[in-house]
Amino acid sequence: MTEAAEDATPAAAPSPDRQGRSGGRRRLGGLLALGWVGLLLLIAAAILVGPASSGSALAVANPDRSAADGVTATLGNLPQSSLVLVAMDADLGTYPEIRPATHAVMADLLSRGATLGFVSVSVEGRALAVAELDRLRSAGVSADRLLDLGFVSGAEAGMVRLVDAALRPGMSSPMAALIAQRGGGIGAFDCIVVVGGGDIGPRSWVEQVGTRLPAVPMVAIAPTFAQPELAPYLRSGQLSGLLATTRDDAAYVDRTRPAAPADRSPSALAMLAGMMIALLVLGRQLLAAVPRLASGAPAVAEPEE
Amino acid sequence: MRRTLPTALVAVLGLVLLLDFVVINPTLATLSDVLLELVVLLAAAAAVAGGIALVVHHVAELAQRRTDPLGSLVLLAGFAVILVAGLYPGSAGTSDPVVRWLVAGILGPLVASLFAMLVVFLLRATGRGLQLRPRQAGLMVAAAFVVIVLLLPLGGQLGSWLASAAGFAMAVPIAGVFRGLLIGVAVVTAVQAARILVAVDGGDD
Repeated sequence: MTEAAEDATPAAAPSPDRQGRSGGRRRLGGLLALGWVGLLLLIAAAILVGPASSGSALAVANPDRSAADGVTATLGNLPQSSLVLVAMDADLGTYPEIRPATHAVMADLLSRGATLGFVSVSVEGRALAVAELDRLRSAGVSADRLLDLGFVSGAEAGMVRLVDAALRPGMSSPMAALIAQRGGGIGAFDCIVVVGGGDIGPRSWVEQVGTRLPAVPMVAIAPTFAQPELAPYLRSGQLSGLLATTRDDAAYVDRTRPAAPADRSPSALAMLAGMMIALLVLGRQLLAAVPRLASGAPAVAEPEE
Repeated sequence: MRRTLPTALVAVLGLVLLLDFVVINPTLATLSDVLLELVVLLAAAAAVAGGIALVVHHVAELAQRRTDPLGSLVLLAGFAVILVAGLYPGSAGTSDPVVRWLVAGILGPLVASLFAMLVVFLLRATGRGLQLRPRQAGLMVAAAFVVIVLLLPLGGQLGSWLASAAGFAMAVPIAGVFRGLLIGVAVVTAVQAARILVAVDGGDD
């Protein structure tokens, strides 16, 4: 039976109590409908009036630039020709969300003369690291400025091992020689950029590596769902910078202005359309559930466990 | 007695790694490095064993034509294609162009498509949740509704106001809940680890 059919099934003789509930339902439904109209009017007003005041009606980039500022400041404080470790442990499913910001950070680092070493402790991260290395080489980045440190198994145990031994046997590039000269571990790097999204991500890096090497600044790029989990590490100073929402990513991308079209932030209009559809569906579901909210009774029998 | 040896091993290894974390001692550091190397190797071996177990399971499924023979066939074929691409003579492993193409051209888009469908499944799940537990699900849906409104990509003064409100919501109530969760998980983990280290996890033997 559909929700509408369930809701429409009337009792044989409605009691006064039922009639009262029905009236309450209508009032709540009216309030929700009013809220909807108000929201639509607000958005319409922003689209129509916004350009006059700020120049753009829709904007993905967060007007609050503090997250982008934090990352820019950390990268700006790096020494000339710095060594930066890119810990690529992103997830194939959520990587499209953070790809523009990841590309922008890499481009920013390379423009500051940094050399990048890539390492992964997750399988999907390894696949993405290989793709990113290939992209950078194709874009003309000198082989001397890129180093593939490969995949390290053992998850957290692998990270701890990297603290003392990041180089694989037989590595002989100038960058590998410099890392070996500085001790051979992650401590040889001037900064760590953690690209997360899977089970192993910035939090694991902070816990396993950050506690052992507190002097090495760590910047994290993660999908939006990880933001509440990572924000405390930013406040405690264990993360020097964090890009973890689409709007913060867009603010950073806008600042660095990458040339490649694929690195552009998503369309604000497309985002708005998707969010409005989600709001419409959620609002409709809430409206349908209003009569049950007061009693808390389920509309269907709960499945037995 | 069955769990005495594993418990003792975990206790000893955990204490060595913990001591290495707080005490600077070359012998302890060497011992700790060896243990970590063993853990890394063990994890790699476990991954290989897991892969073999998966193949054996699906070959058996296929041979006996049980639950989902087509699914088993697709999984085994995918497994074989990736293995051949990464292990053929002269292959560059994960950096091989064929593996890169398989990941970028098939695996990546497939996983991204699944994630794109997540929003549809989530919206359907909220409807189901509202039917089963109206109050709890109603609260969750109302919160989601508010968060989506706060994150609307609007410009101008309204956009700035929404962004400020979203920043407050993320920095205060949401971060507070997450911080509480993280502290709770950390405390429980520390207590459980301490129980294992001092071997007081009763009822094992």
